[in-house]
Amino acid sequence: MAPAIETVNLTKKYGSLIAVNNLNLSVEVGTIHGFLGPNGAGKTTTIKMLVGLLKPDGGSAKILGNRIGWDKPNLRSKVGYMPELPKLPKHLKGNELLDLYGRMYGITKDKRLKQVPTLIDLVGLKGRENDLIGKYSKGMQQRLGLAQALLNEPKLVILDEPSLGLDPIGMVEVRDIIKKLAGEGITTFLSSHLLHEVEQICTHVTIINKGVAMASGTIKQIAAKLTGSFAVEVEVDKFSEAVISNLRKLPVVKDIIREGKKLLINLKTRDDARSEVSQAIAAAGGIVISIDLRGESLEDIFLRLLDKDKVTAHGRV
Amino acid sequence: MAIVQPERIAKFLAVVRYELLWNIRKKKFLGMLIVAFALTTLSLAGGHIVSAITGNPVEPDMNFVIDSNLGLGGFGFFLFAIVTIMNTISGEFESGTIVPLLAKPVSRTTIFFGKLFAAFLTLLATYCFLMVYMAIGGTVIYGPQSNLHLLPLSLAGALFSTFVWISIVLLIGTIFKSSLIAALGALGIWFGTNIIGSILGVLSGQGWILTYIPGSGNTGFVGESPQIGFPVSTGTDSIGPNLVNYILHPSWIVTYFKINFSGSTPGQIFGEELYSEPLSIVIFTSVAVALVYLIAFVGISWYLFKRAQVAE
Repeated sequence: MAPAIETVNLTKKYGSLIAVNNLNLSVEVGTIHGFLGPNGAGKTTTIKMLVGLLKPDGGSAKILGNRIGWDKPNLRSKVGYMPELPKLPKHLKGNELLDLYGRMYGITKDKRLKQVPTLIDLVGLKGRENDLIGKYSKGMQQRLGLAQALLNEPKLVILDEPSLGLDPIGMVEVRDIIKKLAGEGITTFLSSHLLHEVEQICTHVTIINKGVAMASGTIKQIAAKLTGSFAVEVEVDKFSEAVISNLRKLPVVKDIIREGKKLLINLKTRDDARSEVSQAIAAAGGIVISIDLRGESLEDIFLRLLDKDKVTAHGRV
Repeated sequence: MAIVQPERIAKFLAVVRYELLWNIRKKKFLGMLIVAFALTTLSLAGGHIVSAITGNPVEPDMNFVIDSNLGLGGFGFFLFAIVTIMNTISGEFESGTIVPLLAKPVSRTTIFFGKLFAAFLTLLATYCFLMVYMAIGGTVIYGPQSNLHLLPLSLAGALFSTFVWISIVLLIGTIFKSSLIAALGALGIWFGTNIIGSILGVLSGQGWILTYIPGSGNTGFVGESPQIGFPVSTGTDSIGPNLVNYILHPSWIVTYFKINFSGSTPGQIFGEELYSEPLSIVIFTSVAVALVYLIAFVGISWYLFKRAQVAE
């Protein structure tokens, strides 16, 4: 099956600034794909090229198997797009906007009459749908922005910073909606600079910095590629040098860092070595109080990637 | 032959509806409507005001309504053009609402012409309202009116004249993506062509140039001299009245004069005859000029809108 989104060397320049630099991206159908990067990384520029608001200066892109081009309305009929902090016409009421956008999607009157209240309810705007958008708070406009992105029952939803401007409850609700979409087989591509958000809801992630894709895949794949190994953190009672000696004999142990009763044991593999470690400690007379397997979080990977900024010719680490 | 799909028409009408709702809810449009209503009322009440001052009774005038040109005139058309269209494209870019709009499966051409058609409908409704008000008020105040059947022609002319200004405001707004620059730029053009241009044109004897630029145009006279002749403007703002006059007086000849201050008596103004032409030629020229500007400016605006990228 063709990817929901596929870019090949996609490039966008603003004068001498290269906002997106030979971006290669593949978003599999049915996934929730996070597009992670700091401010100014090129996330919104990439999305705007995908939805036809900006012209690429190089490379190509396909959405749902169709090559993007300039002013191709039919391509947009299967895509839902929520811009970053969506600016919606303030002179319209919430339900009027959805009805008008629904007409633009070519949705029939009967369907609009069902779809608009359902979406208003879904995004938590029930009771405020007859108010002018100019009277909505930022969070409410964000919710309406999400509703309009789902009007056409899209196969692909592109969300640019969907949690921006939302309160914590709103954030949770939006994440639930995104998970629900994924459950219905809808591909979701969302940009975010909130690491925990991406980690919580995304199945796949692409990390972008300075217009270059630095890593792409599932979070586990990226972690495996970047870190290579896990570590075991263990708190030991009745500690003795024999514990260290026994641990060093284990073939999976790379090195050991001791802080009082706590030991950080870096492993050579990505296998779970907690049982071997606890057996070695017990054999030396030590007592394991707690033991945890540590892998790098997305945040660790992200920060390390930005720090190192190692980029190959293909934009991959 | 290309067949227009029903879905395409539905999308076009959706854009028209979207824009119409914006137009009728704009505070500045409502304000302009109130001002136009007040001006029309003032125009209707003019006879009574003069009567109150002079003590003479209001004379019946069977041509009052058809001569009033909706009570608006060139500057009224210009102002309506500004309030109707200044936000149409540039306002969407300024507010950011263009982003979700352009992401919908509607072609940019449909959006552009849908918005323009909404402006047309807004003006049509407004001018119809003013025309009916003027017709009823004129009949009540000045007695039975003649030639009311020519009012639709006057209305069509007013719309055409306004659309020339609309094309100018639209073009500036599309280039600069700023409503303020669109309004101020158009105002500058209006002042340049109507005030400064008119003065220089008349004094230099080169007033014919004004015929080829938007606005009130050159002024000629039906009669032997400017002092006793009926004034006729050649510009795009005067298409309506000229059409009405042509129906009523098809044989009118318009003569142009150069104003000359160098008479034998100090302060005396002479009209030095320059050239004459039939009213039909005046109308043909002004319609052709209006069409050229309208097509060119709307065409360029459409082209720019089609190519516009939305970076912000």
